[in-house]
This record gives sequence, C-alpha cells and structure tokens, in this order.
Amino acid sequence: MKKIILLFMLIVFAATSAFAADDTGGASQNDTPNLLEENYLDDDYEDTREELYTIEEIYDPLEPVNRVLFQFNDKLYFWVLKPVKIGYSYVLPAEVRESFGNFFNNLSAPIRLINNLLQGRFQDAGVVFSRFLINSTVGVYGLADVALQEYNLEPRIADFGQTLGFYGIGEGLYLVWPLLGPSNIRHSAGLVGDLLASPVTYLDMTSNQSVLYYSVNRINNLSLSPGVYEEIKKFSLDPYVAARQSFFDFRRNVVKRATNEETDF
Amino acid sequence: MLCLRTFTAAIAVFFLFQAPAVFADAESPTAQLKPTLQRLVDILSDRSLEGKDNKKKRRDLIMSTISERFDFREMSKRVLGSTWRDISEEERDAFTVQMTKLLENNYIGQLENYSGETVEYVGERVREGRAQVSTLIESQGNKYPVHYIMNMDDDKWMVYDINIEGVSLIRNYRAEFKSILRRENYEGLLQVLEEKNSSFEQS
Repeated sequence: MKKIILLFMLIVFAATSAFAADDTGGASQNDTPNLLEENYLDDDYEDTREELYTIEEIYDPLEPVNRVLFQFNDKLYFWVLKPVKIGYSYVLPAEVRESFGNFFNNLSAPIRLINNLLQGRFQDAGVVFSRFLINSTVGVYGLADVALQEYNLEPRIADFGQTLGFYGIGEGLYLVWPLLGPSNIRHSAGLVGDLLASPVTYLDMTSNQSVLYYSVNRINNLSLSPGVYEEIKKFSLDPYVAARQSFFDFRRNVVKRATNEETDF
Repeated sequence: MLCLRTFTAAIAVFFLFQAPAVFADAESPTAQLKPTLQRLVDILSDRSLEGKDNKKKRRDLIMSTISERFDFREMSKRVLGSTWRDISEEERDAFTVQMTKLLENNYIGQLENYSGETVEYVGERVREGRAQVSTLIESQGNKYPVHYIMNMDDDKWMVYDINIEGVSLIRNYRAEFKSILRRENYEGLLQVLEEKNSSFEQS
C-alpha cells in the first residue's frame, strides 16, 4: 500500500515538473498572437456593432466531482504548500532558489527537445539543445542559465500536450487532479508523455528520494512564480470557473503558438 | 530630501495636467497607451507615495490615470453579455459602478505587487476600429506577454480588455458571470458582486 501511495505521489509530482517547464520563460518568442481575430461575436447578441466575446462552453460533465477536488487543492495550498513555501523562501535566498529552478528546468530539456522536433520546430530544437549543452557545462549542472545571460539564447518551451494539440487532437473533458490542479484529457496524456521523456524518471532513485526530488522541485517552483492562485481566488466571483477558464485559455494559447509558428516555415 | 519630494510631486502634477494635451488625435494606439503606462510606473516607483498612510492617495492617483485610458463601461457591457440588453439604463449604470470597483481592485492589486518591472512594446495591430497593443513585461528574468485590446472612442483609443498569456480578463469574468446567471437571476448576480467588493474594503 505504501508503495502505491509513493508511486502515485511520484507520478503527480513528476507531472508538476512539466508545469515548471511551462511557466518559466513562457514568453520567449516575440511573436504577437492576433487576438483581434478571435471570435468576438456572440450568438445571442443580435447587434453586430456590439461585438462581444463568445464564451465557448468548456466540456465539464464531471463538474460536481471536479469542484470537490478543487476544494481539496485549495485546502492543500493554504494549509500545506503555502506555509512550506514561506518557510522555504525564508531559509533560502532568492538567488539560490533561482539556481535550483535553473537546475530543474535544465533537466527537463529532453521534453522540450523531443516536442520541438515532433512539431517540426527544428530551429527551436537546436536552441534547446545548445542551451542544454552550455548550461550543463559552463552553467555547472544547469545551476546557472549562462546560455541566456551570455549567449542570449532564450528558452523554447514545448511539451507533449502542446504536440498533441498541434496535431489536432481534441482537449477532451475538463479534469481537476488532486495536487496537480486543472487539466483535461489531452493535457493529462501530455503529462504522462512528459514524464516518460524526463531523464529523472530513469534515475535509480528510491521512492523516498523521488518524492523528495519532486517535492523540492514543486516548492522551489512555487516560491519563484507569482502567487497566481491566490490572485485568482481573491478577485473572482467563482474561483472554480475562473481557474477553469484560465487553464483553457492558457493552454489554448500554448497550442496556438505552436501552430502559428508552423506557418512561418 | 524634502526638495526631492517636492520635485517629484511637481513632476507628477505636471504629468497629470499635461496628459490630455499629449493625446493628440490620430495617434497610434501604442502612442496613446504609452504615456498612461509610463505614468503608472512613475506613480508606482514614487517613493513619497509608499507606506500605509499614502495608500489611498496612491490608489486615487492610479485610478485617475487608468480611467483616462480604460473604458470600464465597455468592460462591464462585455462582461455581462446578452444580459446587458435586458436591464434598464439605471441598472446598467449601477452595474458599471460595481464592476468598475471590482476591476479597479483587481488591476490595482496586481499593480501593487510592482517591483521594478519593465515594459517593452513589441507589436501593434489595428483592425476596424479595434486595436491590440502587445507588450512584454519583464519580471525577475521572466518575460510575460501582456496585450491591451482597445476600442476607438472619439479619436481616443480606450482599453477594454487585458490579455496575459492568452488569458483574457474580460472573458474570464464573463465565464464566471455566465455560470452564476445559470443558478441565479440578475439581482442575485449583483449581490454576489457587491459582496465581493465589500470584502476588499474590509481588508
């Protein structure tokens, strides 16, 4: 039983490292998406001068269950993750945490390499490879992002969920995972792919070591990113809907970035 | 020190009164947005406005700055969608007041986390009286794309949506309102909105 729990934690925490790959340096490409082309017309609004956003229904048949899990994650955040994050940030100075962040991020380079290749973004794949080589050597095990600072090589993010979207696979129903948060079928499948592409998965670690690794990764990442969840909660009238909408819009944007780039070739 | 403070205050006042003249008509949306964002950065990095005692003063300054460039009525309309059509003009005004409070708290809340971020203007699109100004906010080594969506209103480009990494402020509230309106009527929604706003006043 203990083994199963550990394995579950392992998978869940491993998946969060993929989130880390998402979040850091998310805006490396200076392309500007055309948001004006988005469908602004509302079906039930007749006056076409008064263009309004269309809210595409997010397929969420599991909403009652998802809401319970959302509550669970909420408590987990405020009772566990946040206090741990505060203590962790207090003990370790920001520079050290940033170095750790670089280290974790560097280890997930294979995920970005494979997915850039799968999406035909060969130039980006080359950048990912160069960054990995430079940072693993000159950057001392990836602790420093020398590639960015000295060679101005910006991160090129890519993940399996994005690749699946790139090939036109649908999002599927909305899911809230305990510990992990918002997801959908396609995104979840992508996380499993990312896990398989991560070298950490193949390290000969005991289950305790793995849990430690992924926990530190998660907390470290949390300590560096702005408190998005707290903001969402504070300013929304229905945080569940706000988180769901933000997740979909964010992931759609990630996929859109991949497909837009294809047309550049 | 006092001298410096007077100087910054003088500059702030100068910009405050100069502002309308700067917005000459037929200017590009970026040219119109830039001074507003610059003034926000100035207010946020103004040392003399820091601290609890100056909180209200700072908020008022921020608010008067953004209301020149942000169209809160347009935002309220878009957030409410088709329900906007069904309510009376008085109700629309009352709703706009509440929605402005919420957006103001949200936006100022984000701004109050400001710590020396820089704004880079990376692109502009104009199409049929609407415009998109794309910026990159650099914060602690990370760059976040922020897009301002604007409407032409009497030669003035007015912001009606902010899009960060694909997440639209207005679409997000719209989704929430739609979900609430499925369970409640308009009065119920207004009540939820008012309760949310009073929660900011307590803290």
